[in-house]
Amino acid sequence: MATQTTEPRPSQRLALSSEEQRLLAEGTLTDRGIQAHPRAFYRAMRHGDPIHYDEKLGSWLVTRHEDISAVQSDPLTFSVHHGYHEQQARGMHEEFRAYLKEHGGGYFPDAIMSDPPYHTRIRKLMENAFTAHRVKELEPRITEVVRALIGEVIARDGTRCDAVKDIAIPLTIRIIVEQLGLDQGMEDRISRWSVAVTAQIGRMQSREQMIENAKEICDLQHYLIAKMKQREAVPGEDMISDLVHAEVTNADGTREKLTFEEAVSLVRATLIAGNDTTATAIGNLFYVLTTKPGMAELLESVIDDDRRLNRFVEEHLRNEPPVRALSRMAVKETVVNGTTIPEGAHMLLVYASGNDDETVFPEPRKFDIDRPNLGRHVAFGGGPHRCIGLALARMEVKVAAREIVRQMKNIRLAIPEGEITYTPTVATHTIESLPITFERREA
Amino acid sequence: MGKLKVTMTDVNGDTRTFDDVEEGTSLMEVGKAHGVAGIMGDCGGGCACATCHVYVAEGWWDKVGEPDDIEFAMLDMVADVMKDTSRLGCQIRMNPELDGIAVTVAPASTY
Repeated sequence: MATQTTEPRPSQRLALSSEEQRLLAEGTLTDRGIQAHPRAFYRAMRHGDPIHYDEKLGSWLVTRHEDISAVQSDPLTFSVHHGYHEQQARGMHEEFRAYLKEHGGGYFPDAIMSDPPYHTRIRKLMENAFTAHRVKELEPRITEVVRALIGEVIARDGTRCDAVKDIAIPLTIRIIVEQLGLDQGMEDRISRWSVAVTAQIGRMQSREQMIENAKEICDLQHYLIAKMKQREAVPGEDMISDLVHAEVTNADGTREKLTFEEAVSLVRATLIAGNDTTATAIGNLFYVLTTKPGMAELLESVIDDDRRLNRFVEEHLRNEPPVRALSRMAVKETVVNGTTIPEGAHMLLVYASGNDDETVFPEPRKFDIDRPNLGRHVAFGGGPHRCIGLALARMEVKVAAREIVRQMKNIRLAIPEGEITYTPTVATHTIESLPITFERREA
Repeated sequence: MGKLKVTMTDVNGDTRTFDDVEEGTSLMEVGKAHGVAGIMGDCGGGCACATCHVYVAEGWWDKVGEPDDIEFAMLDMVADVMKDTSRLGCQIRMNPELDGIAVTVAPASTY
């Protein structure tokens, strides 16, 4: 980030309270209670042991903003290719791979989850699809889709709904499906596929669950492969057609067509990444609107001011980042801020902790849309692997925020806050279901 | 090989001039191709991350022009280091009128 740190950055370990020491000694990201409410654990690590080895998880947790930034800026030492594929169905990878080969049309490694220089070429293909200017052109259409969806929910039962299942999830699916050129009306199926794919990096599935999820992924792959074959023969105006006909430019200037396997992995990644995390962000938006005093009023006050609404969205992404942590692997022994990471070690960049780093964001738990360095949050990661769909994600959250206020008011949680459940995973912080009541706002 | 000239001062204060820039190349691409410190271009030129932030040198602003609303929104996310002459390098494409332009990379933090 081209911004400057104004606070001194204490790389020193800070003294911990006895409760924090206990958390650090006993806590693990595999604990579902910590997954749901992780901030005290993050804080204890960030202060006392910023690159902490979580023994139960078998991963090094990188928790300070400066260290996350340093690691993600060095994609050759800290490999996404090895980190991601090591994390995938960890402990059961061979069986997972064999299952997809046998039943799912093939095992397609994620081409985008790779390292430079290969990654640079693959990524180049995808970069033009979702630039901020292209996404701005989509705003009217996204608004139509979101308006219609919320309208449907209100028409069904004008006073209550599940904000995650009825709004957040179908909303982001409808938008990415339209961009890719897939079929509408398959929201339940695509939602199940998304859960199955993301569970592979969540580290919480049993063997039985892995097989169930692998079955879903096979179903997904068969669907995508059929669509892609069709577009290979008869191209349309959609991303699938672009990808099946795409060529990458090699370092020597020669051009080469993407392999079908690469294209499948990219369509799959775009579909899943294009709905799951953004749905989480919108679910989290309903969560803060219904549980944090003043948030609904604040959103209402910024809705017609584009600059402040953009800042609201960005601060929301900092404050409640959907992606908790993503993987890297150290390809050689490396010292990061005083901690020696062994060769081959699996690491998680804990973005949610980086966004709470008080040396970068003073009073991190305060929701402050006037922060002068908002752009430094790491909700989208950073470096060459920074989320490629970031402009689309921001736009979807922004349009959702605007349409929620335009059509709904007095939104309340319909269950006690303590009963909210979170998806078991180390990768994201995702509310599974959020029953709400509301009143319709007349236009 | 192109023939347009660009002078860039990186975050460490080192100034270099590149005199073989092709028309149509963005300043972010120039900076990345030559490893200019502080130009990262994470999002690939999509005007979506503010990691190619530069200050345009005196005398060039009129030719470069103001950022549009989308670019301004991104610069606003790094308001602490934004100036009146701030632009994102990915949004400035070289053309003969910009031949000889000079920019300074906005102060990057150490990460």
